[in-house]
Amino acid sequence: MSLKSPFSSLLLLFISTCTHAYELGRGAQINDHINVGGYFSSEFEAGRSDETFTLDDVAVMAYGDINPMISYLAEFEAVGFYHKNFSDGSDGGSQKFHAERLYGDLWMSDDFNIRFGKQITPIGYWNMEPINVLRDTTSNPLYSMLLFPKFLTGIDINGYVPSTEGLRYHLFAQKNHDLDEEYINIPNTHFYGFAVEKEFSMEWNGGGSVGEYITKTNQRTRFLQANVKYDDSEWQFVSEALLAKSDYNSREDDYTLSGYVQAMYHYMPEHAVVGRVEHYNDHFSDYKDTIFTLGYSYRPLYPISLKGEYQWHSQNEENRALFSFSVLF
Amino acid sequence: MKTITLLLIAASTLFGAQYSVIISKKAEVGTLSTQQIRDIFLQKRHSLGNQKIIPLNLVGQEASRIAFESDVLGMGRDRLNAYWVKQHFQGITPPITQPSHESIKAFVQNVEGAIGYIPSSMADGSVKVIYEF
Repeated sequence: MSLKSPFSSLLLLFISTCTHAYELGRGAQINDHINVGGYFSSEFEAGRSDETFTLDDVAVMAYGDINPMISYLAEFEAVGFYHKNFSDGSDGGSQKFHAERLYGDLWMSDDFNIRFGKQITPIGYWNMEPINVLRDTTSNPLYSMLLFPKFLTGIDINGYVPSTEGLRYHLFAQKNHDLDEEYINIPNTHFYGFAVEKEFSMEWNGGGSVGEYITKTNQRTRFLQANVKYDDSEWQFVSEALLAKSDYNSREDDYTLSGYVQAMYHYMPEHAVVGRVEHYNDHFSDYKDTIFTLGYSYRPLYPISLKGEYQWHSQNEENRALFSFSVLF
Repeated sequence: MKTITLLLIAASTLFGAQYSVIISKKAEVGTLSTQQIRDIFLQKRHSLGNQKIIPLNLVGQEASRIAFESDVLGMGRDRLNAYWVKQHFQGITPPITQPSHESIKAFVQNVEGAIGYIPSSMADGSVKVIYEF
């Protein structure tokens, strides 16, 4: 599913009908049932052979409550909106908008909510806040990109576990193709999973998930995932890891192990230094890499992000520098 | 129930609580924990028992709002702003605001499930006090 350019029409709607004071990064309330927003990011990458600039994510979103029990969210995004390679002079891009999220929520109680439609897979931290402006590094760890479908076109039954404090669950399922197979990291036909997250205190929380998916090429993968975070505003430590076992038609089962640990120190509210170490080991494709990332994050306002980082890879001569500028509206 | 409310007001005077979180006196809700109040005002929970809840914030940067955010939510202004920016991406908006403590009290009196904070000196038998700070 795609749209040619909902961006301009939504922008016009935004400008002409916004009735409440606008605050950057909080969206604009059009009326009691419609809030609109959007974001974009641009990246500059300097590797060993190429220097590229990409206007990467250009997205618009709308959400709101239809009534006290039913709400919705729609988001359309163009990825790789414009791309320029300074090494060979080529440029291009795609202005085609894809349905990134398109779902409804049926709220029955705090213990039982049903989300239906295309949505972000409720696993871990990184996957739940995937856009550049909300991240603290320009790059994503491989953990978040290669090991499970980032989106789910199905249902997620979620809520608080009754008689507990701060313990949430997600029971999600998909038994169909993705709403937009051009726009998902792992096109699949079946995807099931169970996730929990626990808030131990204001600073500490953790969680985990198990799941299974079958790709369009009939590769069945089962995974076990865990995540933990500490955040006291000055220091933040995040770690996520995943172990996957895949059944292939052509050969024996193989394992993939991936994880990262990231630390961030805010020496001022707007400025932070970020360090991350990640490991990825895919026995099937025999791809193994350990990546160290050191970065700097500057947010003059929270929804405006300027980031720079350098990555050292253990293999493949993939060392590179990345810079990005992103804004959430 | 009126006795309990009067006792809470008396206790707040004795022990120095400045502000009270109030709800309609019709609501079948007892005293809440800090965690429950925090979850409601961070829009993580939307009900108490079978009662759908409407949290109310005071507009601007009045002392009561600053005290509520630091003492009850446990979040400074920067952290809270970052939280709501992230929630915007998830399709969740902050609580609605009211221009004054008087309008918060009137809203709570008239709308079942509305919950807000006012100076303890304003709490009387027309509303139910469920938390103090």
